Amino acid sequence: MKGYHDIVGDGGSRILEQVAEQRARINDGLAGVRHLVAVGSGKGGVGKSTLTLHLAGALRARGLRVAILDADFNGPSQARMAGVQGALFVPGSHKVSLPRTSDGIGVFSMGSLISESASLEFASTAPGESQTWRATREFALLGEILASFEWGALDVLLFDLPPGTERTVQYADFLGPQTSFVLVTIPSEVSRGVVARSVAALLARRSLGEGGSKGPNRMLGYVENMSGYYCRDCNAIKPLFDAPKQSTLEIPCLGTVPFDPELARRCDQGIPFAELTDTPVRRALNDVTGRLLETLS
Amino acid sequence: MKLQTVVPPDRGSLSVVYSCPACGYEMAMLTNAYETQVVQSLGVRIGPATDGVAAEAGGKCPFPGMIPSSEGTGGHRADQPIAVKWTAAAEARLTNIPEFVRPMAKIGIEKFARDRGSLEVDEKILDDAKQFFGM
Repeated sequence: MKGYHDIVGDGGSRILEQVAEQRARINDGLAGVRHLVAVGSGKGGVGKSTLTLHLAGALRARGLRVAILDADFNGPSQARMAGVQGALFVPGSHKVSLPRTSDGIGVFSMGSLISESASLEFASTAPGESQTWRATREFALLGEILASFEWGALDVLLFDLPPGTERTVQYADFLGPQTSFVLVTIPSEVSRGVVARSVAALLARRSLGEGGSKGPNRMLGYVENMSGYYCRDCNAIKPLFDAPKQSTLEIPCLGTVPFDPELARRCDQGIPFAELTDTPVRRALNDVTGRLLETLS
Repeated sequence: MKLQTVVPPDRGSLSVVYSCPACGYEMAMLTNAYETQVVQSLGVRIGPATDGVAAEAGGKCPFPGMIPSSEGTGGHRADQPIAVKWTAAAEARLTNIPEFVRPMAKIGIEKFARDRGSLEVDEKILDDAKQFFGM
């Protein structure tokens, strides 16, 4: 009988080769995507998901082909907001079809599969030790999704990232330098401070050097969300946070977007961007989208 | 050898026990929880590719007549949805779905079929589902 040291390589599992094959499948699946844009922050609760959806809607309204990958597997919100809760993942002859909103935005969200009363659970042989493997498993799942779904020809694929500075960097590492970043903050000192750390963490990746699969990511800029709130009664923007007007983030500002309670309600109901009335908030979102496109081109 | 039991993780180690149906001799495969989990977390398959070898090996098993069918005797419990069969072609397409989400996706598709009065998922049902959800 063979002993442990008699086994050549890894016993036929081809672990390294399989990982390389996965990466090749991901690259193949994304070959038709022109721009990969990750919307992150580091800070939670600043409106990353809402902004991602509205950016997608505004891009779509300009005739662009857009999809969203809700990368927040543990707290997915895009399924509800985009109106694809309960949409099926239907396998085609080679890839899995992407659920779509009524205005044609492709959306992958774990929220399509998992009800809001359930959490994402992985079968494990090491229960109670998830700190040792969970992040690896989630990124492997992200890779499988990128490789398996039919992204097709897209102008922009938006990644809605989970909160956490370290997660933002991990996504930058996983997605590679072809993915550009937009960071979201709100005009509070606390939020700006956390987002500044994310900027610093992403800038630190410059040490990886230009070129290659592990180079730094391009930072397109930041959006200051909830910059006041829109009062429909008086059709005016009113202050929401008592913070210095100017942010000190060392990346370009793509614009500011006021909070609109009516918009939040519509998000909860999955009403598409195209059906929003012309308000200062919608115009602000359009301005941000315009600057985003200018920066990308 | 026949799969006897899978002992749930005990202090992190999984035991897969096989036994000889003739003499009762048992053999167990024990896993190192941490190594197995970390490698599995990469989303890879562990073990050499079979490429049909397993099917051939199954034909050479000396105990095929002694192993009871794992299909069970059937029967439908009132609290469970009626079983839906998959054609080979539809099942082949199902493998395109990432393994982790496959069971959940499968349940959804089977419900879609049942809702349309079908107890079989074939490629037409899959295409109908795509059309229904505007894909």
